Amino acid sequence: MTAAIPTIAEAARLIAAKRLSPVELTQACLERVHALDDRLHAFVHLTEARALAEAKLAEAAIMAGGPKGPLHGVPIGLKDIVDTKGIPTTCGSKILQDNIPDADATCAELLAAAGTVLIGKTQTHEFADGGPSFDLPRPPARNPWHTDHFTAGSSSGTGAGIAAGLVLGGIGTDTGGSIRGPAALCGIAGIKPTYGLVSRAGVAPAAFSLDHIGPMAWTAEDCALMLQALAGHDPRDPASADRPVPDYTAALGSGVKGLKIGVIHHFHEVDYKVTDGVRRGIDAAIATFRGLGAEIREVQVSPLQDWGACGSLISICERAAAYEEWARTRLRDFSERVQRRLMLGALVSGVDYVQAVRRRRELRAELKAAMAGLDVVLTASQIGEAPKIDDVPAWDTFAAPSFTMPFNVTGYPAITVCSGFGAGGLPVAIQLVAKPFAEPTVLRVADAFEKATPFRNTRPALT
Amino acid sequence: MPADITDQALEFLLARSGLALTDAEKAELKQVYAGIAAMTERVRQPRGRMAELAHVYNFTEEDLA
Repeated sequence: MTAAIPTIAEAARLIAAKRLSPVELTQACLERVHALDDRLHAFVHLTEARALAEAKLAEAAIMAGGPKGPLHGVPIGLKDIVDTKGIPTTCGSKILQDNIPDADATCAELLAAAGTVLIGKTQTHEFADGGPSFDLPRPPARNPWHTDHFTAGSSSGTGAGIAAGLVLGGIGTDTGGSIRGPAALCGIAGIKPTYGLVSRAGVAPAAFSLDHIGPMAWTAEDCALMLQALAGHDPRDPASADRPVPDYTAALGSGVKGLKIGVIHHFHEVDYKVTDGVRRGIDAAIATFRGLGAEIREVQVSPLQDWGACGSLISICERAAAYEEWARTRLRDFSERVQRRLMLGALVSGVDYVQAVRRRRELRAELKAAMAGLDVVLTASQIGEAPKIDDVPAWDTFAAPSFTMPFNVTGYPAITVCSGFGAGGLPVAIQLVAKPFAEPTVLRVADAFEKATPFRNTRPALT
Repeated sequence: MPADITDQALEFLLARSGLALTDAEKAELKQVYAGIAAMTERVRQPRGRMAELAHVYNFTEEDLA
C-alpha cells in the first residue's frame, strides 16, 4: 500500500474482486499512522483494536457473500466533534477531555452501517472553531505536503490524514469552509453538501444555521461514494431535508460537454486578490472545462465581503449562544483563539444578528438569480497555498474574506478539488458550486476535472 | 455604528454578556471593534421594514397532529 494508496473507488473494486483484503488494507493504514502521525497529528484518538475487529468482520462477510457496498472494509476517520458511542469525543477541547458519548452521531452510524472501518477520531480545531491552537491537550494537525505548514481547519486531521494516506476518507464539518479549506490546502477533495442533506445529529454545533456535515476523500468520486451513505432524512436533526436521495455516482464519467459553468471572477480578482498560483489554477481550470465542451459564462454577485460579513455575524452570534454557559463559567478552559471568538459575541447586538439574517435572504435570492440557466459556478476556494502554521493571524476573522462562506450563507452545495500546485510546491484548489440538492451535477463536474488533469497522481512525499 | 467603542460602552457589553476579561483582552477587543462595525454596516441595506429573515417560523405536520 505504501507504493500506491488506493482511492475508495479503487479499493472497493479490488475488495469486491477479492484481490484486496480489508484486514491488510486496515493494517497498512495503521502502519502509516504509526509511522507518520507523530509528525502530522492527524489523529487524536486511535481505535486500532476496533478497526482490526471491524476489518476482520468485513472480510469474513465479503468472502462469504460479497461486499454490501463500496464502503465495506474501507478505513476512515471521523472528526472529533462527531459523537461516537463508547469512544472519546473531545471536540479538541480541555472541557470535554473525559467525554465518552453513549450514542453515535447519525453520520457515524450510517458510515458504520455501510461497513466502513473506523481507524480513529481526527484532529479538529476546538469545537470546530479558531485554530491552529498550541494551548490545547493535543497539538494541531500539520500539512502532509510540508509539516511546517497549516492544514486549514477546522477539519484539519481529516484533511491531513487523507492526504497522507492514513485513511481513505473521512468526515468533516463546514460552518464557513471547514471541509473545503483543509481539502484545498491538503490537496484532496471535500464537499459541503446542501444544508439539510446530511444530518447534523450528534455533531457538536459551531453555528446551527451554517453547519454542514460532509465527506472528504482523495477524489470527488470517493466523496460521491461516501455521500451516498450519508445523505437522507433524519428526524433527529430539525433541519434535515425530507427528500429522495439520488444516485450520486450515476452521472460520474459523463463529462461536462454542454454544461454551463459560471465564473465569479470578481471574487478573486477584484474583491480580494488571490495568489498567482491560485489564479493560474482557476484560469487553467476554466480552459480545461472549455476544452471539455462546457460553456463558460461570467457571473456577478455582491462583493465577497458582503457574504463574509453576513456569515461571520451569524456565526459569531450562534456560536456565542451555543457556548454561552461555558463562556461565562469556564472561559479560560477554551484555547486563546476560541476565547477570542467567543468574546466577539459580546460586540454584536440582537438587531445586528437579525439584519444579517435578513441580508442572508437577499444574498440567497441573488445567488439563485445569478445561477439561473447555469449548472455550476466556479470560484476560488482559498487565497493561496497553505501558510506556515506559525503565521496564522490571531484575529483571522478580520484578516481576509472567506471564499467558502458564501455557500454556507446560502446553503448551496460546494466542492473543493485540487487544481495544481503553487510556487511553494503546495496544493491550490478551485471551488465548484451547484444549486440546492444538485450534488450529482457538482460531483460530475468535479470528477470530470480531476480525470482531465494530472493532480490526483501526486501524493505528498512522506516517508 | 461607530467604528470605535468607548471603554464605558465596552464594559457595558461585557457585563451584559457575562464575560470576565482582562484589561489586555479588552484592549484587543477595542482594536478589532472596527471590523465588527464594518460587518454590521454591510448587512444593513435599504430594505424597508417588510423584508423578512432568511428563516421563517413555520408549523410542521407533526405540530398539526
